[in-house]
Amino acid sequence: MSEALLISSLVRSLQTGSLYALMALGITLTFSVIKLPNFAHAEYITVGAYAALILTLNAEVSLVVVLVVAFVVAALVALLSHVVVFRPLEEHQTSEYTMLLASFAVGLILRYVLFLLADTLEIFDKRIQIGQEIVFRSDALILTNIFAWVVPTSVFMVILLVLLLNYTPLGREMRALAVNMNLAQIIGIRVERVKVVTWLAVGGLAGIAGAFWGIQTSVNPMMGWFAILSVFAAAILGGLTSFPGTILGAFVVAFSENTLMQVLHHYLGLDFSFKPAIPFVIIVIVLLVRPQGFTDFFQRLRTNRYER
Amino acid sequence: MTFDVVTTGIALLTYFGIFSLMAISLNLEYGLAGVPNFGKALFVSIGAYTAGVTYTRLLPIIAGHTPLNPCGETLGQALQLRSEIMQGQPVAGFVNFGITLVIAALIGGVVGYGLSYITLRLKEEWFLALVLLVGGEILRITVRGYSPIICASNGVAAVAQPFSFFDDVRTASVAYMLLVLVLALMAYIYAERLTRSPFGRLLKAIRESDRVAQSLGKDAARVRAQVMMIGSAMAAVAGVLFAVNIGFVSTNDYVVALTLDVWVMIVLGGMANHRGALLGVFIITVLDRATAVVAVQLSMSDISIEFNYVRFILFGVILLLMLRFRPQGILPEKPQTTQVADGFARTS
Repeated sequence: MSEALLISSLVRSLQTGSLYALMALGITLTFSVIKLPNFAHAEYITVGAYAALILTLNAEVSLVVVLVVAFVVAALVALLSHVVVFRPLEEHQTSEYTMLLASFAVGLILRYVLFLLADTLEIFDKRIQIGQEIVFRSDALILTNIFAWVVPTSVFMVILLVLLLNYTPLGREMRALAVNMNLAQIIGIRVERVKVVTWLAVGGLAGIAGAFWGIQTSVNPMMGWFAILSVFAAAILGGLTSFPGTILGAFVVAFSENTLMQVLHHYLGLDFSFKPAIPFVIIVIVLLVRPQGFTDFFQRLRTNRYER
Repeated sequence: MTFDVVTTGIALLTYFGIFSLMAISLNLEYGLAGVPNFGKALFVSIGAYTAGVTYTRLLPIIAGHTPLNPCGETLGQALQLRSEIMQGQPVAGFVNFGITLVIAALIGGVVGYGLSYITLRLKEEWFLALVLLVGGEILRITVRGYSPIICASNGVAAVAQPFSFFDDVRTASVAYMLLVLVLALMAYIYAERLTRSPFGRLLKAIRESDRVAQSLGKDAARVRAQVMMIGSAMAAVAGVLFAVNIGFVSTNDYVVALTLDVWVMIVLGGMANHRGALLGVFIITVLDRATAVVAVQLSMSDISIEFNYVRFILFGVILLLMLRFRPQGILPEKPQTTQVADGFARTS
């Protein structure tokens, strides 16, 4: 296997992994705080991408503005789905499958509203209009400015989220909600406010990831749906509760989809049409063999640190 | 294209029968036993792929020909041979169809039992939903990538229904419709009897609390695996009927959306009430056909709105409204009493 192929697939793993991390953290956050495996998350990604696309088609703006718009629009859509659908259902004390089904329904509605929108504006499979330039070139590797944006921005957003969760009163309240909703309510945490912030953060992160995704490939109404099971695989690797586990999971999934796939193709002749199956196989194996994902591993690290 | 009421009616009733089988199977699994089977597409596709294999390998042998490779250079010849057999040798067609149904039910049942036996021991119950959902996608991608099953992404054409030896197309489709409806009716009667049997009561008990059932010495996981076996066999039969109805086996038909359609049907009609499930299937198939007709009519006029998208939005809205305002469905579950309880009610 040629060195260039390996290096470029590693770069792709890194780039996709950062985006998966942004998306999967949202899944983990919704699952911990809202107690919902949210399949509509896919559509927040697509909404962000479309917001960015429509903006860049109509005005020439810098990447930062694009990202901010994607964040805001996707965050508002996520909040809307909470206010209109998930909150009323929660108040009726429905079972978790009802919530799961509802999240599918929300996703379905959003996806086909986007289809209608894309159909009327005739914007299928368009790339978000951000100029790509090459920032680094060698024999084995070409890096564009997109790579230089994606990875640091994702790392920055993840750090921001971790800081929010660990060092602010709001983050403490979120974690309290994640551990025990009733207890959190009893000690006077304003549950509704925390949930609203959670939804905004979840949607916003997905929106930014969607915008980046649309810059490096192209935007269509199914993009989020096609990514969502890979993203779920990442979140499940994190045990759906651990944030460092989810981030590690995102990179494991991206690495398996790109580099591992490349290696399997080269040595075992596995066809590239099997690539979409990789995250699914990861999900099945993890759920059957190690449903806690990487959670234990990070807990052990933490306890060791305290014991010392 | 003019709008033909009779043809539309036949197509509608055929779809109604096929989806009734799927909805009843899901109603047994989720409605009665509380097993969240989000892998309906997986089991339906097993039936469809089985049909793809038997029509290309078994059918020529039954008809006394040597089977040709259905995918490669002999694709055209194999296809022609298939349609000639289906039109000229009805007995071979029926034998092949019958064997296909049996094999599909067997494979579906075994896979359903095996998968549930593993997944029912998962840490959280909704993991089962996810594993089955993902399992369907894995099977789909594998079949699409691995050519010998149904020629990868090309699919298998000319999977004709067994009545296609009739010269008149309408007679053939009416006969097939009746066959499908009889199978659906059998499934309905079976499900009703199962629900009223001690096994049905056990399923409901496990749905309400598997711990209580276990404390009474019932193996909850095993009973759920059994109901998954029944439901999956039924879904695989529905898959054969589905593939044979459209005459084509392709991996593109058995996606997550199919599973969701079946869920919408039972949530709408009423969980744990088979009559409700049938009502849900009826409403959704009528809506489905109606929106398809509207879409065709609209595409011929000047209105440039893609109505197929509206259809999905409509399904999503129906599902949400039902979950929010009438989670028990249009026809809710009937309370079940025994004669002893009736006696107590009368004396007290």
